[in-house]
Parts: sequence; C-alpha cells; structure tokens
Amino acid sequence: MYEAFAVAIVVFLTVGGQELLGLTMLGRPIVVGPLIGLLLGDLPTGLTIGASLETIFMGIVNIGGASAAEPGLASALAVAFAINMHGGLGVALPLAIPLGIIGLQIKTLLYVAVVGPFASRFDTLAAEGNERGIVRLHFGLWGLQWFLYALIPFFAMLVGSSATQAALKLIPAVIVHGLTVAGNVLPAVGMAMLMKILWDKNISVFYFLGFLIVAYFKIPLIAVAVMGVIIAILIAQRDFQVHQLQAKPVAASAVDHSDESKSQQEDDDFFG
Amino acid sequence: MSKITAKLSAEEKKMLRQTYWRSFTLYSAVTPAKQGASGFEYSMIPWINHFYKNAADKKAALVRHMAYFNTNLAMSPFIMGVTASMEKQNSEKSDFNAESINAIKTSLMGPLAGIGDSIFWGVLRVIAGGIAISLAQSGNFLAPIIFLLIFNIPVQLVRWYGGQLGYTLGSSYISDLYEKGLINIMTKAASIVGLMMVGAMTSSMVKFSVKWNMVMGGKTILKTQDMLNQIFIGILPLGITLLCFWLLRKKNVSINWLILGTLLIAILLALVGIV
Repeated sequence: MYEAFAVAIVVFLTVGGQELLGLTMLGRPIVVGPLIGLLLGDLPTGLTIGASLETIFMGIVNIGGASAAEPGLASALAVAFAINMHGGLGVALPLAIPLGIIGLQIKTLLYVAVVGPFASRFDTLAAEGNERGIVRLHFGLWGLQWFLYALIPFFAMLVGSSATQAALKLIPAVIVHGLTVAGNVLPAVGMAMLMKILWDKNISVFYFLGFLIVAYFKIPLIAVAVMGVIIAILIAQRDFQVHQLQAKPVAASAVDHSDESKSQQEDDDFFG
Repeated sequence: MSKITAKLSAEEKKMLRQTYWRSFTLYSAVTPAKQGASGFEYSMIPWINHFYKNAADKKAALVRHMAYFNTNLAMSPFIMGVTASMEKQNSEKSDFNAESINAIKTSLMGPLAGIGDSIFWGVLRVIAGGIAISLAQSGNFLAPIIFLLIFNIPVQLVRWYGGQLGYTLGSSYISDLYEKGLINIMTKAASIVGLMMVGAMTSSMVKFSVKWNMVMGGKTILKTQDMLNQIFIGILPLGITLLCFWLLRKKNVSINWLILGTLLIAILLALVGIV
C-alpha cells in the first residue's frame, strides 16, 4: 500500500508537476528514477535504471503536444517493479517501453476527453469577465487531470506487482539477454529523433566530429559540450561578419571602405 | 541587466514579476482546441486589471487572450511582455487596433517555438541529460539535481529577462532581430552544439557489439568485433543510428515502430547467438 501510494505521489508531483511548473523537466527518467529509488529504499537501483531509461527516452520530446511516449509514468513503474524484484535493466526495459506508450495514450485521452470539453467553458467565463472562475478552472483542471493520471500507477502497483513478477519469471534467459542488448541499442532511436530536430546539411559534419572525438579520444561529454560552444561561437562570428558585408548597400561601399581599411590597420598594429 | 527595467514604474516591475510566476502554469489546463489559452489568460490578468478600469474593456481583453496559444514555454514571457506593451498602447490610444494584438501574438508564437524547441529541447536538455547520465552511471546521487540545475538556470534567466525585454522593446525588437539575421545565426550556432553532443552521445550511449566469430576446425579464425574495431571504432552503433535517422526522416517510419523493430531484431539476434 505504501509503495502504491509513493509511486502515485511521485507521478502526480513530477509528471503532473511539470505541467504546473512548465518546462522544468521534472518528469524525466533521470529525475523520476532516483526519486522512486529513494522512496522505495533502493536509491542506487533507481539511479542506474533512471539513467538507462533517460538514454532510451532521450529522443522523446514533447513539442507542441506531439510525442511518442510518456517517459515519466514508464520510469516510475519500471523502477518500482525492478526494485521489488531485485532486477536490473533486464526487468525494467520490457516494462518501460509498453508503459511509456500506454501512458501517452491515457494522457492524450484525459486531455481530449476530460480537459478538452472545458474549452468552451473558458470562453464563456472570459465573456462574462469572470476572472476568478477562469483561475479556478485553470488550476482545477490541472488537479483533476493529474489526479486521474496518478490512479494508474496506484492500481498498477497494487494489483500488478505480483502478476508482473510471475509473468517476468516465465521469460527465458536468452530473451532477457536480447532485451538487455535492445536496451543498449535503443538510444539509437532517441539520437535519431534528436537528429531530426537539429539536422541541416551544412552543419551535419559536426555530428560526425562529435562521434569521432568520443569514439577515439574518450573525451567526457561536458568537454564535448564546451568544444561545441567554442566552435559555435567562432562560426556565429563569421556568419555575422558575412551577413553584415552582404547587408551593406553597394552605394555606401566607398564610405565603408575607409572604415574597413582603418580596422585593417588596427589589426596590423595588433599583430605587428 | 537591470538597465532593461530602469525606465519602468514600480507597478510595472511588479506585474512583470507576476507574469514570470504565473507563466509557469501556461500548460496546466491544455485543451486540444486552444492549447495554453487559459495559462496565457492567467498570466495576463494583472495587466488587464491594471490597464482597463471599465468593465466592458476588461471583458474584451479577457476574451482576446482566451485565444489559441502555443509556443515554447521558455519563450512565453517574452510574448507576454510584448502583448502587455500593446495592451498598454491600446488602453491609452483610442485609435489603436486591438485586433493587431492577437495578430502579433500569433506571428511571434511560431518562430519563437521553433527557436525555443531546438535550443531548449534539442540542445540544452541533451547536454544536461548527457552529463547527468554519465554522473549517474558512476553512482553520483547528485545526478538528477545537476540535471535540473543545468537545464533550469538558463531557462529561468531567459524567462525572467525575456518578459522584461518583451515589455520594454515591444514587437519591433523581434522583427529587427529577424532583419539582422541574428535569429538564424543563433539557431545555427545552437544546432552545431546540439549535433556535436548527439554525435558524442551516439558514441557513448549506443552500444552494440557482435559476439559471433568465424570458427573453422575448432579454431577461431576471425574475431568479428575486433575486425570491425580496426575499420572504425563504433561503426555498428553509428550505422544503426544513421539507419534509424534515415527511416525517420526519409521513410516517415513512426517512432513506436522503430522501438518495436529494434526490440524484435535484438531478441532475434540474441536467439541465433550473434550478439
């Protein structure tokens, strides 16, 4: 009972909480995993599984309401079951992926069927000038939607724990090995999702540069980030100069010329 | 940065703070039809009450801001600031066209969502996640806290100063930035950092190695994985990632099918003993 309650509260406060405290990333696996671990008394498992699920769900972004899975509910339940069964990623992974997809379906259902119909009520309240009503409905709908959503992990923990345990025991070792392999490959899907957002032919070489320096030189990610920022600043400066040159009207070139030669001279002085 | 608010009255500064706090709840009651309309309204209420004393004007403003609103959350205070500055003009000038307020709002939503989503979801979250994951894997319990700090400190700064900038500079500012081409330069620079991080993470997080070796007469004559490593370290993870990317981008395969396919293929390969 305590566990069901704890998992439900975590889902309510993180997955629901991030909708109230917008874009704070509270509901990501790397936060939810350790939190569940802490409450169920196994922080190390929560931390490692949370990190593994974060890599898998890295590419799941929630842009404009469109998404592919809801990682928060999936992580909470997968970590809770893994801790109960003293299992690792091999237990968590086969649960997390379907749960993520189911979680998104339910989230969408609540948003369409529970919150959706109130859109016209908001309009009526606005036309009446009923400010207090708008505010009440704004927060009330949040509470209602995420209370309903948190019931899923509550009942899943209450009835699902032993059933899941029994079902997982039936899985042969070779399949569990296959799932662990899948867990290591799945971040590829996430990376592909991110590439879809960022990819541009002109800058695609930087993807390969990032890959190369880690594969061969084993540079930590934070150092790659700093290198990336340095390269980005250099390129932005050059782009800005090119842009300014293009923006200069031809007629004014004579005037600009003297400016340029002046700065040229300054450069010469500097290097001289 | 205190320069931004130097010319504002104490009342205006207070309302900017209120907008900052209220805009956290932008998507608390998202509806399919109007997305963050109620959150936008909630954030605008202090301004509406301040500028409009007449009940009819107030109602008109409330109706105006219950319109469809959807953008990147970190960018929303900027748009609210711009909107507030236009509401101020509307309340002062009788010939101001109130319809232009929603027109400007709508024109800002799209481009700012594009920049915000790629910078915050695509780059900053990825950097924060990448660093936190490597910390968590080495057993550091602070990983989730560091993740939240790396992500949220820049986001909150953008939200805090964005509202002030929007209100003081008004809508002319963003079109000015566009004309100077700064937006494109910034987006490109951020995407470079993002792509490099994604490349780096492909190398450190996607793991796939072949166990199967060529055996002839009881002797291993070819260690497949060693051979692959001699060609290029991580050639398989890189190849798999590029294949997924190609399927997503060119073939429009849905993400759920990709996940399911990966699972099935991995189990199949494990069954035949290749991995």
